[in-house]
Amino acid sequence: MTAAQFLETISELPGISGHEGPVAARIREAWAPLVDEIRTDPLGNVIALKAGEGPKPRPRVMIATHMDEIGFMVLSIEQGGFLRVAPVGGIDVRNVLAHRVRVLGRRELVGYLGMLPPHLTTDEEMTRPVPMKDLFVDVGLPEERVRALVEPGDLVVREQRAVQLLGGRMAGKAFDNRASCAAAYHALQELARRRHQVDVVVVATVQEEVGLRGAVTSAFGVAPDVGIAVDVGFARQPGVEKDRSAEPGGGPAIALGPNIHPQVYRFLVEQAQREDVPYQVEPVPGRTGTDAWALQVARSGVATGLLSVPLRYMHSTVETVDVKDIEATGRLLAAALAAMEPEWVRGLSR
Amino acid sequence: MKEIFRRLSEAMGPAGAEEGVRKVLEEELEGVVDRLETDALGNLYAIREPEGEGGLTVLLDAHMDEIGLVVTYVEEEGFLRVAPIGGVSPQVALGQRVRFLGGAEGVVAADHLDDPKELAMKHLLVDIGAASREEALARVQIGEAGVFVRPVVEAGEHRLIAKAADNRAGCAVLVEVLKGLKASPHRVVAVFAVQEEVGLRGAGPAAYRVDPDLAIAIDVTLTGDTPEAPKMAVELGKGPAIKAMDRSVIAHPAVRRLLAETARDAGIPYQMEVLTRGGTDAGAIHLSREGVPTGAVSIPCRYVHTPSEMVDLRDMAGARDLLVALLQRPITL
Repeated sequence: MTAAQFLETISELPGISGHEGPVAARIREAWAPLVDEIRTDPLGNVIALKAGEGPKPRPRVMIATHMDEIGFMVLSIEQGGFLRVAPVGGIDVRNVLAHRVRVLGRRELVGYLGMLPPHLTTDEEMTRPVPMKDLFVDVGLPEERVRALVEPGDLVVREQRAVQLLGGRMAGKAFDNRASCAAAYHALQELARRRHQVDVVVVATVQEEVGLRGAVTSAFGVAPDVGIAVDVGFARQPGVEKDRSAEPGGGPAIALGPNIHPQVYRFLVEQAQREDVPYQVEPVPGRTGTDAWALQVARSGVATGLLSVPLRYMHSTVETVDVKDIEATGRLLAAALAAMEPEWVRGLSR
Repeated sequence: MKEIFRRLSEAMGPAGAEEGVRKVLEEELEGVVDRLETDALGNLYAIREPEGEGGLTVLLDAHMDEIGLVVTYVEEEGFLRVAPIGGVSPQVALGQRVRFLGGAEGVVAADHLDDPKELAMKHLLVDIGAASREEALARVQIGEAGVFVRPVVEAGEHRLIAKAADNRAGCAVLVEVLKGLKASPHRVVAVFAVQEEVGLRGAGPAAYRVDPDLAIAIDVTLTGDTPEAPKMAVELGKGPAIKAMDRSVIAHPAVRRLLAETARDAGIPYQMEVLTRGGTDAGAIHLSREGVPTGAVSIPCRYVHTPSEMVDLRDMAGARDLLVALLQRPITL
């Protein structure tokens, strides 16, 4: 299976923060043959270990790719059977109207985020987005049926098929951050053909979108010496400034800034250059808003790096990535892990 | 339940100075559990060893602190300037009576404002009847905390109006659970946590210390049953609420399912809760160590963070029955 095929499968599965079960099962199934051990921790993080060849005790390197996606939760059921919803993660109300959703009730229901016809919308209302409190989901059933099948707390997943665009790009939902889960899969495939000294622990983390929660607990559990988070970053598009974005097709963006250990940054750049993997540099002056932020301060501190797959239209259901970037991210991870010497890791803290 | 709640509610326990509440709890729980412990932050642990083997370590949490005010400055004329401890709104505080930890009592007044809409915390004054700074400082200290003064009143047959129902309602439920619990295969550690109101600060260290297999926080939640309330399915008197999500936690699906199943099996009416504002100790507990499967049972409460919070005894009894039923059955996650 290629990274693109894997992304297509996992992007379409439901996996809202805190309820990653379906996508976690698929990721575990795909990663398992490529690693020595795989387990699921109390919050649902999928933790895969590929043991290195170096002498014990071996340094541990943790790769974190979050697998959760944003979505909704049913807040209340109101007269007429309409569902009011609360956001889980950073839902953008501008792009959800008239969207198809799956309501994961006692039984799965298809629904739509209903909206006012333009004929009944004032000029003033036309100029601003509909606030979250006014959004509602219509599942097309009478109120008693809805009440029998749905309760507050049920999940509402955005529905979208992944699409292959011409020229090697793909569009779909939850590419943030399943594109990175696919990159990690690609890295594990590459690593199966290479030797490495350090223990590699690849973690598909939960609950990143609601506050890096899975990274907090999995980093405690794994207790790595080096951590590399892989997430999506802003790709260039109209309206996005050049200095805050990366070129799609230009390879992973290697972050640097206070969240990033300078030696880990340099090491990643060197490996990209040595193995001819295209890369870009992404300066992040403060919090990266990624699992890297939690990884860095786990236990007594972790030397942390961050790779970003350039992605357009973040937090929409038409998130767009270039498959070449996913593969290049996987190649760079594999190259870095294969080149990492235990002595170098030990030298990070003295 | 009513009497325990009354004692707990009327005790003083601003975040960071919970001794008054802890003392009441220790008196209530002496001889009820196998052991009482207090940690360096002031968290109280009531520990009940299991009957038999194969059970889990279950952490039950209820925070015992409440919101309040702290003296920051004393004006020459003897008025106290104050800052909030936790989520106190100046509009709610105005006109309330305050009692400080050292015993001084006063009323919350404010600077004169031409536009009352501008009222902010910095305008508040507490008048303890002192005629000068010296007189005031003889009765209170800078940094001394205080809480609102309100006796518990009964509103109709089932409802109570009280200060600090957030979260003495949860504490009262937890005491009743420990008293009502018969044979349990589980090691039950009830934590009465400090400093929830200032950022879930007591529960994290408590969870680290207990290292549980499963945790359930008991706290109040908001309701959507008053006129023009923001949308929320929870109503007062419709039973304990099983939390699906708040700002601090997404309840572990298995724990949420377990609670709902237990309630259904025991015939206890319950509601599902999705809270879009505010968090609970569950938020800190579930992120402890390698992660703890955590859920929450909430007591619906109106007028939260005012000195007149309203709860329904039937919801509290339902929460007690639900937790007792849960702890008496074998649990697999």
